[in-house]
Amino acid sequence: MLLPIPTSLVSYAQCRALHTSASLLGKRNFRKFLLGPKAGTLAFKNERAKEVSFRKKFPDIDIPDYGTRPTGAHRLGDSTFITVPEMIPELVVPDLTDFNLKPYVSYRCPEVVQEEFTARDLFNAVYSDKITADFERGALTEGGQPREPSAEEALTPESARQRARGVHTDIWEK
Amino acid sequence: MRLTQSLLSPVGKMTKLYSNLPESYIKRAMEKGKVGWKTPRAVQYQPKEIKKKHYRFTMNRPWTDEFARQNQVSRKKVYVKPIPKWSYFRGDMVEVLVGKDKGKQGTVSQVIEERNWVVVEGLNAHYRLVGKTAQYPGTMIASEAPLLVDDHVALLDPADNKPCTIEWRYNESGERVRVSTRSGRIIPTPTQAEETYDYKTAATYRESERDTKEDDLTIISFKPQLSTFEMDVAESMGIELGPPPSETHWY
Repeated sequence: MLLPIPTSLVSYAQCRALHTSASLLGKRNFRKFLLGPKAGTLAFKNERAKEVSFRKKFPDIDIPDYGTRPTGAHRLGDSTFITVPEMIPELVVPDLTDFNLKPYVSYRCPEVVQEEFTARDLFNAVYSDKITADFERGALTEGGQPREPSAEEALTPESARQRARGVHTDIWEK
Repeated sequence: MRLTQSLLSPVGKMTKLYSNLPESYIKRAMEKGKVGWKTPRAVQYQPKEIKKKHYRFTMNRPWTDEFARQNQVSRKKVYVKPIPKWSYFRGDMVEVLVGKDKGKQGTVSQVIEERNWVVVEGLNAHYRLVGKTAQYPGTMIASEAPLLVDDHVALLDPADNKPCTIEWRYNESGERVRVSTRSGRIIPTPTQAEETYDYKTAATYRESERDTKEDDLTIISFKPQLSTFEMDVAESMGIELGPPPSETHWY
């Protein structure tokens, strides 16, 4: 038994159109793809960004600045750019006269092996001379403590810490 | 990590010693020929690489453009006999055992450890004309073909200057040396073995103005003091130590 085909189910508007050329017709979602080398200086790209035709054609392209830090700011509500001198980085280069260490090392130099300078080595460097001298002349107590302590020997952990924290900055001094 | 890199790296130790280049540079330069395609490093991409499985080592050194070009083409893998202890150095006198120069002795001019090759100067060569034009007949140069180590060349016994087999043994001072199994004579390491791209010997390296000299390098100017880095800086800048700031507490 043949069932009647309801004509109202199929509407011609819902039919898919036939493509005689490539289905996407060269349309690509450029938000997904990384556009290759971004040539041109920042100034050039900023100028191009102002062009209306460019912004219309490539609304999604961002102007990369590669993290360059600005040396000023735009005035509020205005497009004028004000250079702030304090934002320009000041390169502090030390004086290198009589400094003979160079970027490379000659192949003629022998291999220099320096072991780690530990806290024990620091102790030995600072205290060992006085301790041996005191021991020889008998100026150490029963417990090995010095009878006439020097400035370093008189330090306690708290006073040493306070001394270290006493370093202040001189930026604000006149 | 560096140990595994040096163990797993296909580039031979002799090559790295001669080049005097950092290993990371050699690896990076080699990958120009190996890595077919890499996905861009961005959030939307999975990090994937399409690359060849093995390199084919040639007469060109691995960091050169010619090597990269030669490796862009896929070729059959070359099977190389693993030699645990490499015994052939630049400047060694060897005898050629095969080919049209069989029986002749020469000096090793190049060592390509990755293919077990040794290039002997002037021997096992074919001749070709270079720079030939209509007017000029061209310069004839000898291009030596490489020879396989252990099979095609043999080191000479110093006693009779004849080919011999060698063994690595320890001498009285504890150094490892090559010894001929036949006569027991030590085969000395030639001075050319020390040569690299930058120098013939380390002692004769020509120092440039950017090289630190030995006298400057070996100076120890560190004076151990009981002060922190900030205190040292304050002392050198003439900033006086003030009272400590008030204590801060975390609640």
